[in-house]
Amino acid sequence: MKRAQLFAGLALVALVVVTAVVSLFWTPFDPIRVVPGQRLLGPGWPHLLGTDGFGIDIASRLMVGARTVLTVGIISVGLAAVVGVPLGMLAGQNGGWVDEVVMRVGDVVYAFPALLLAILLASVFGASTVTAMVAIGVASIPAFARVARAGTLQVMASDFVLAARASGTSRWGIARRHVLPNIAPVVGVQASVGFALAILAEAALSYLGLATPRPTPTWGNMLRDAQQFLFVAPLQALWPGLAIALAVLGFNLLGDGLRDYLDPRLREVP
Amino acid sequence: MTYAASSRRPRSRSVRTVSVLLGLALALGLAACSPSTSTPSGSDSGSQPERTLAVGATLEPASMDPWHNPAASIPQVLLYNVYETLVKVDSGGDIKPLLAQAWEVSPDRLTYTFHLNAGAKFASGAPVDAAAVVANIDRLKADASLTPTLKAQLAVVSGASVIDSHQVEITLLHPSLMWLYDMSSTLGMMLDPSYTGDLSTTSAGSGPYQVKSHIQGDSVVLDDNTNYWGNPARFDEVTFRYFSDPNAMNAAMLSGDLDVISNLQAPDALPQFADTSQYTTITGTTNGEVVLGLNNSSKALSKLEVRQALTMAINRKDLLDTVWAGQGTLIGTMSVPTDPWYEDLSGLYPYDPEKAKAMLKDAGYGNGLTLRLRVPEIPYAVKSAQFVASQLRDIGVKVTTEELDFTRWLDEVFTRGDYDMTIVAHVEARDLGKFADKTYYWHYGDAKYASMYHAADQAVTEDEGVEGMKAAAHYLAEQCAAIWLFALPNLVITKATVTGIPQNATTLSFDLTTITNR
Repeated sequence: MKRAQLFAGLALVALVVVTAVVSLFWTPFDPIRVVPGQRLLGPGWPHLLGTDGFGIDIASRLMVGARTVLTVGIISVGLAAVVGVPLGMLAGQNGGWVDEVVMRVGDVVYAFPALLLAILLASVFGASTVTAMVAIGVASIPAFARVARAGTLQVMASDFVLAARASGTSRWGIARRHVLPNIAPVVGVQASVGFALAILAEAALSYLGLATPRPTPTWGNMLRDAQQFLFVAPLQALWPGLAIALAVLGFNLLGDGLRDYLDPRLREVP
Repeated sequence: MTYAASSRRPRSRSVRTVSVLLGLALALGLAACSPSTSTPSGSDSGSQPERTLAVGATLEPASMDPWHNPAASIPQVLLYNVYETLVKVDSGGDIKPLLAQAWEVSPDRLTYTFHLNAGAKFASGAPVDAAAVVANIDRLKADASLTPTLKAQLAVVSGASVIDSHQVEITLLHPSLMWLYDMSSTLGMMLDPSYTGDLSTTSAGSGPYQVKSHIQGDSVVLDDNTNYWGNPARFDEVTFRYFSDPNAMNAAMLSGDLDVISNLQAPDALPQFADTSQYTTITGTTNGEVVLGLNNSSKALSKLEVRQALTMAINRKDLLDTVWAGQGTLIGTMSVPTDPWYEDLSGLYPYDPEKAKAMLKDAGYGNGLTLRLRVPEIPYAVKSAQFVASQLRDIGVKVTTEELDFTRWLDEVFTRGDYDMTIVAHVEARDLGKFADKTYYWHYGDAKYASMYHAADQAVTEDEGVEGMKAAAHYLAEQCAAIWLFALPNLVITKATVTGIPQNATTLSFDLTTITNR
């Protein structure tokens, strides 16, 4: 059962990744070129999922959209992990006022909606993929910091760290040799779950026009464009919606599956 | 997140929620008070007219002050409804009396004598007399912060003087074909001279309605001026509700929250209103030229060959079919079919991407050209932008598209000219003169055009003037001063009970005075 979940997650994620990679070299049709006579076609051949209001092949747009989803996911989760994990480790290893300051600042950021940050960045720099990545990334930092801190506290209390300290290993050495490898699995799980959240956030932001601008297709702005044809061509909204749902499901299943495999706390339970 | 597209900030959502709740409460209250009016099928007093009207519109005015804010959404609400003018343009495009019962023009076309309606008075009760008209002209002349358009329109006026209490004489510096038309619009709005309140939120006109409230992010409410001097208002209260998302507006219409969609922003949705027992669809023309504005002060776009190449690269027939479901008229210059000097110039530079590519190469841009297309977040503009960007890409022009909140667009593009290309509808009537003004945001500084336009405007006879305008419009098209994509259609959807809305929109006003709701 657990294994099936992991594999289902892996399969969905692989589908997204393969689609995105293939879209770099090939899409059935040009994903941005307007074709006047071909608008609002239903699913069929050669347009498997039909065409949108500009006569552009929806399947091709979905493929390119997968690319944006992965880019935003990787960069924003990467940003959050690279900033959040060291901060969490710092807080966990030092304790005291450092811990207080880092975690309380984290709480403040946590309370700050990503949407607000995205609006702010978009109005200053103009909405783009980068502003969306930064907004989502910054908003996800506290989650990584918390996970890393909790893991660090656990590791720091273990006997082998005590031994390392007694033998004069530096703080930096402990962090590198003992803490980081031991918290890596939980961070990995957090990354997978964070990825799913990032996909949702990206879709929401580009639906609101606060992320990747047109004409570059993203699942969110496809949904936005489909909205005006909701009564005329309802299927148009279904495809990007389905893509978002499946991708989010995939990363969530993957995250859960990974936790069952990697989390040391769950490992001991038979 | 359901229909709060793009420009809505989260803050306004609470305002909207409150107003939706209020609206709901109101609707429930109304329904409770008068169950018979909501079911006209009943045999009892079914012909009782409704005393309220809800109008759906797209762009929300930022203020209620048309003298210091150029947004056409202000006169849409205020012109003829709240502020009246000496003369008004009727649905046939002809100038008709309003505050002035009659007027005479001197043979040299320099002096206009207006005979004011003796009964006309402002909402305060003060009379609209010759002194009030002179005070208005003097006020505008003295106002340094007037919008550039009004300033340019006013420049021709030499002065106004009182003849007797109801006769006023206005003299011009030179004859002008356009002037009286301008006076029928924002320029001619008569404000109560004794009024000292805040014009950005309140009003002091002589029309049948007055501004009651403006709920930011939601609506403008007018209530009737019980002091009105003419035929009393047909509604106690008229609400203009603003929807940045056309689907939300359609949904509000379908659910019965709106009585009128003042201009349908999603022509693909027309079939939704096909049921004639419930809805009436009006298809007419407007003065709105959808202009792909070119910043003539940029190096590449100051070259005629480049502008011609861009024009030929866009298939405007396909564009109209794709972005506006084929509704609207193809035009080739700054003129619409209801103008006396109209000439169909849409075929002057036919679609020819190969030739366009070659011309671009000849102009020195064979290796590509990058242009910024900055458009306001309005449905026709956003959709046209995507089409234009795609077709320009075909001839090797790289287009970076940016969608801006309308307020930001007004500031950055319209006021500060920070753009290469933009798309917006110019909804003022007979607005050919804007190309004669180099400071206007297109920065089209062609001296020959300016002299042609001014000569036509100042022609001694009207026929001569019309011929001159025709030649000027033709020259403008030849020079590709901008790319005219299409003229917006007047697509009005009303409940079947609403009557009196003219087919063609000939003015900026959404004129409430002719409308009834049975």
